Formats: sequence, C-alpha cells, structure tokens
Amino acid sequence: MTKDTNELLPTAEYSGPVSRTFEVDPSKPHSTSGRTNGPSDYVLAAGAVDRDAPTEAPDTRIGRLRAYVTTLQDEVNEFLTERMKIKGEEEGQDLVNPEEEEEEDQSGL
Amino acid sequence: MPYYSLGLEGSANKLGVGVIEHPLEKIAAHNHANVLSNVRDTYVTPPGEGFLPRDTARHHRNWVVRLIKQALQEANIRPDQLNCICFTQGPGMGAPLQSVVIAARTIAQMWDLPLVGVNHCIGHIEMGREITGATNPVVLYVSGGNTQVIAYSRQRYRIFGETLDIAVGNCLDRFARTLRIPNAPSPGYNIEQLAKKGRHLVELPYTVKGMDLSMSGILEYVDSLAHDLFQGKKNKQLIRADGSKVTVEDLCFSLQECIFAMLVEITERAMAHVGSREVLIVGGVGCNERLQEMMGMMAKDRNGSIYATDERFCIDNGIMIAHAGLLAFRTGTRTSLGQSVCTQRFRTDEVFVSWRDD
Repeated sequence: MTKDTNELLPTAEYSGPVSRTFEVDPSKPHSTSGRTNGPSDYVLAAGAVDRDAPTEAPDTRIGRLRAYVTTLQDEVNEFLTERMKIKGEEEGQDLVNPEEEEEEDQSGL
Repeated sequence: MPYYSLGLEGSANKLGVGVIEHPLEKIAAHNHANVLSNVRDTYVTPPGEGFLPRDTARHHRNWVVRLIKQALQEANIRPDQLNCICFTQGPGMGAPLQSVVIAARTIAQMWDLPLVGVNHCIGHIEMGREITGATNPVVLYVSGGNTQVIAYSRQRYRIFGETLDIAVGNCLDRFARTLRIPNAPSPGYNIEQLAKKGRHLVELPYTVKGMDLSMSGILEYVDSLAHDLFQGKKNKQLIRADGSKVTVEDLCFSLQECIFAMLVEITERAMAHVGSREVLIVGGVGCNERLQEMMGMMAKDRNGSIYATDERFCIDNGIMIAHAGLLAFRTGTRTSLGQSVCTQRFRTDEVFVSWRDD
C-alpha cells in the first residue's frame, strides 16, 4: 500500500487507570482480514462456512483506511482483552467471556 | 418532486435496505407509496444453532455497503435525490442494531441528509397497512423477537396483548434447533413444511393468560417430547390412537396448532373490544399459511377480513423502515446524531404516530 500526503490515518485513545494511544504505521502491510474480526470460534466449531468476510481493501485512500481501521481494531481488542484479564486477576474473579468484551469494544467504534 | 427515503433494517439476522417513493400528497388509498428497491441478506447459521449477536453484527457490517449500493442501483436513485436516511432504532439485538446505525450515521453525514430513527414494530405495521390497504386493523405482530396484538387509538399503536416470555418465532426456531433441521431459508418455514405432513394432534399446554400468552412452557414440553421420541423412551403421548408412533411431523403440527390457536383467541378478543372487523398479520411468522388460514376462519366468523403480506414485506426488510421513517419525516420528525442511539427495548406504544389523525 502506498501513502500520499492526504493519507487518512486513524487513531484511538484509551484513558483509565492506564492510558494508551493507538496508531497505525502506514509503511507496514494492512488488510481487512484482521486477527479479531473473523467469525467466532463457536460458530466455526458448529460447522459454519464464512460467507460474510469483509471485501478486500482496494488501494485507494478509503480502501486503505478500512485496512488501517482493521489493524487498529485488532490492537484495541487485544489490549482490552488483556486489561480484562488483569482486572479479573486483581479482583480474583474468573475472566469475563472475551466474546462479550469484543462486542463492547466494537460498539464503541 | 416526490419524496424518497432509504431505510436500513438490521435488528436481528436479516440485513435489509430499501428505497421508497412517496407522492407529494398525503398517502391514502388512492395515493400509494412506490417500492423502488427492497434488498436483503440473511445471516444463516448451521443446523441446531441460533444467531449470536457478535456474528450477526459482523454479517451486517460486512454486507451493508454492498446492499446500500445494490438498493440505490435497483431504485435508480442518486443519493442527492433522497430526503432522509431511516434506520431501525429498536427493539432488537444490540450489536446488530449498532452495526446498522453506524452505517446510517455515516451515509447521512456523507450525503448531508437528516436521519430518522424508526421503531421496528411500527415499520411492520405501516408497511402492512400500505401493502394490504387495511385502514384501521387490529394488528397481530408475530416474529422471532416479538408477539403483540396491537390496535390504533389516538395517535398511538396500543398493545392489547403480548407474550409474557418468548416470542412465537423464537419458540418455533428453538424447536427447529431441537430437531436439528436446517436454518435455511428459515427455521420457521421448515417447521411449517413438516407440520403440513403431521396428522396426529398431541395435546400441549394451552397458556393464554388474560390478553397475554406464554410460550416458554410449551416449548419446554414439546422439546421433552422430541427428546423422548429421539431416544425411544416410552411415553403415552407419543403413541397415536391406532397404536403407531407419533412423528416429528406430528409434533411440528401440534406445536403450530396450539400456539396459533392461542394467537387467534387473543386477536379475536381484541377485535371484539375495539369493534374492528379487520385483522392484519405482520412479522416473519405472518408468512405462515396455517396461521393465516386459522386467523381467516376466525375473521370469517366475525364477518371480517384478514390482511397479510408475502415474505418480501412480512420478513424483516429495509423498505418498511424507509416507509415508516418517511411518514414520520413528512410530519417533521428528525433524529439528531445525539439522539440516534439504538435501544434493545423500544415498545410500540412509545411512538407518537404523528402521521395519523383518525
């Protein structure tokens, strides 16, 4: 993917007990097939065939933005899942279902 | 120039996009709306599985752009011809609703158009009235998530009776999962086809409670019968009068007969109460021909008429949202970005029906 001067680069910010800013590096490869945006393991185990995958991102500003957002979303999802694990351990609770955590995260986009 | 709106529906496992045209004068029997496009894609799960919010939302996110493009192309309408973007604001499943409202907000800002949030149930009612020509019917709204008997009074659609627990479509879908029959084209449709071959009526609990009804106990009961049947357990209810065994088809038939009889009973009582002779069936289960037949027999006894639509309008769709939203838009309703938050709970009678004054 190429980068022009008007490249749309998304960022995200988390503030709480810890703070973190999420950015994407446009020089790295990005795609709309993320690590956390596939079908849930549960439905795959039940025999689901994935016909709902996102379309590939074309090499346009908007297309590249879709791929950047997917990368950003992965990082946010993984960060929040880790935060929940830490919180659960601190409070001595079982880990909340990561599936539910992802729902919450996606609703905040 | 007529009014045009684009409607987005995604409160459950169907993603629908539709474009409707309203002529300038007030919508009436002689002045119909025109359906310009009504496209839909359904999230289908493997047999025995329901649809999870996360995966359903993913389906909607990944199909919504394709469907919007298709709807505009079929309608032969440009975005700058639209008057508003309408979207389902609730009730429904949170994550799928959320996916669709993000799409609605995005195109509303891209094309500089106002948003109109629509109650899903009102969408079904108004589209049913528009398609069938029923003027002031008692409405039976039966779907996977809702079961309500509704009548209009003083600018509200008022709920006369409803389920106390699960919806009728949910009851049928969950029984389909127990039987592990396919979810395509829809579990309810497959139950209906099996029920057509059933001949023996197995007595099930009949749970009408005043104007309301309950179906979770019936589901539990028929589920246990199905398990006994599959496991070959002895059960007197699984033996027909002629000594032969009850079949899966008999169970589907019995379940439909029982819950549809309950629906007919409370609908008839609502018709008697409001003095109406018209009954309009809307929602996905409204496609069921046996329900239509049973309701038709009751309506005929009352010298009345039954109105129902086919699967294009019964099953969740975008055009009903476009239509109900445009009716509201024409009477001044707008939903600001700040007000466009979706809600899983949004009762039919919360909506002020500004477009009706009868």
